Amino acid sequence: MEEIGKRIRKKMFLTAYGQKAAHLAPAFSVAEIVYVLYKKILKFDVKNPNWKDRDRFILSKGHASLAQYVMLNEVGILSDEKLNSFCSPGNSIGGEVNPHDCPGIEVSTGSLGHGLGFGVGQAIALKIDKSPAKVYVVVGNGEINEGVVWESVMAAHKFSLDNLVVILDDNKIQKMGYTADTMKIRSWKEKWEAFGWQVDEIKDGHNMDEIYDVLSKPNEANKPRVVIANTIKGKGVSIMEGDPNWHWRMPNKKELGVFMEELNITPEEIEQCKKRI
Amino acid sequence: MQKAYLMALFELAEKDPNVLLLLADSGTAYDELFKKYLPNQILDFGIAEENMVAAAGGMASCGKIPFVYTASTFLAYRSFEFIRNDVCLQNANVKFVGMGEGMSWSTLGPTHHTTEELALLRVLPNLIVLSPSCPSAVGQCVKFAYQHQGPVYIRIGMGGEPELYDKPVDVLKNQTLKDGSDISIFATGSVINEALKAAEMLSLKGVSAKVIDVCAISPFDRENVIAEVKSKRGIVTVEEHNVVGGLGSIVSEIVAEEGLKVNLLKLGIQHGFAKGYGTLAQVREQNGLDHNSIEREISAWLSNGGAK
Repeated sequence: MEEIGKRIRKKMFLTAYGQKAAHLAPAFSVAEIVYVLYKKILKFDVKNPNWKDRDRFILSKGHASLAQYVMLNEVGILSDEKLNSFCSPGNSIGGEVNPHDCPGIEVSTGSLGHGLGFGVGQAIALKIDKSPAKVYVVVGNGEINEGVVWESVMAAHKFSLDNLVVILDDNKIQKMGYTADTMKIRSWKEKWEAFGWQVDEIKDGHNMDEIYDVLSKPNEANKPRVVIANTIKGKGVSIMEGDPNWHWRMPNKKELGVFMEELNITPEEIEQCKKRI
Repeated sequence: MQKAYLMALFELAEKDPNVLLLLADSGTAYDELFKKYLPNQILDFGIAEENMVAAAGGMASCGKIPFVYTASTFLAYRSFEFIRNDVCLQNANVKFVGMGEGMSWSTLGPTHHTTEELALLRVLPNLIVLSPSCPSAVGQCVKFAYQHQGPVYIRIGMGGEPELYDKPVDVLKNQTLKDGSDISIFATGSVINEALKAAEMLSLKGVSAKVIDVCAISPFDRENVIAEVKSKRGIVTVEEHNVVGGLGSIVSEIVAEEGLKVNLLKLGIQHGFAKGYGTLAQVREQNGLDHNSIEREISAWLSNGGAK
């Protein structure tokens, strides 16, 4: 299980390496969550990504695009060549997810606070159509500073969206610092409960068994559900873990050695990346 | 225009269950029709426009045709980024109906006036921007919006505007409401009624003014402007909107891009916020958009050699 996490992170890193900056730490934070969603939870058709009864997955913290693009590649929706075009000119994919660039993306995200409202709309439409599909939205703990998120939270309760699951990537850090400092918020549970949501928790957001156990539970009737996942920003590389400075940067030459060692990256693989760019 | 809008929408919604009416605690008496007969097709999102617009994008991605209806100022300004990202960028099949063109909320003042949104919205790719002048034009806009695959914004008045057409018109083409040979007055929205009266007053002074109804702000009927510019002494634009970025700016752009030479008078809110309170007629007076002010401005412009 740990090996899978390491392999996925290595793939994310090699996809992005060579760019001046990438959101490695935010993507590493949700690596296991996005992996479990694609491998065990989401119902979708690789040959028909627009299948009308597919489960919807929205990465509202779109800057973690590496996590979703790598998984779209793992399940066979995104080609190796396209994955390797990350942040390059031409017919490519970018640092935030966009449906125009790649099948399997529901909506452009990147401006924070949009994905949940879009997902609320999808959940309403799917309920009207009596579709069995569910909507899964990953939001960041910094992202939910945005007021509109709470508009969406109210609407999901009002419309009794028991086909909606939000996964809150609670890594305790936002762009410039700790969430407990930035907005003096230490706990989210009672806030979502107060809005009428079912609240579940994943104690270790990097433990795939626990992620699966919690995500595979059903929503209570008529209730939207939030799963608060305790994660570590930059998980998987010791020098990034829990350090706000890594929100959007690449390792320098000295730091690269730590990445290579901890993610089992060979010098040849680094050379191949350089050639690609 | 509100009644025309909701009746046209109700007719479509009765036939097509995918048509949904989205509100932000923003209903009118006519919503009762939906509540009574189509209760599953009306959704109130509360006073939360940004989420409503994002949700409309999500619904459209699942095959629904949401008509998002609230005060145009809250819709266009507060939700702008959501209109841009979740609807226009996705080319989502969402229709926006802004309640209250220009200074319609005439007793409530500038926070409720929508005097910049045509400028804001016309720059958005994929978005059709319509500014109808009378009830039947509103009905045509709603039908057009339903048939068009992609986002549409319709700006409507709320003041019991008079009917100007006796048959359905193409909302993407400019329409001549009064013929004339000296100058052409382009007007958009119900303020065209003031322009029509001003044109009658001008005719008493021997000035023959053509009055043209501009419903489509984006895309724009360029050919019509080009033809008028080539055949008239001068061009006037009248809009219940800031003269920066709206109809006057659009005409200026066309004139410059086509390398034409013509004198242009842009009437509207002169790059400020609308002033005063009162009835719509009184607020138009205070902002130089009543027929007397329009006539006066045009006469002064003509006598100063504005139109050669």
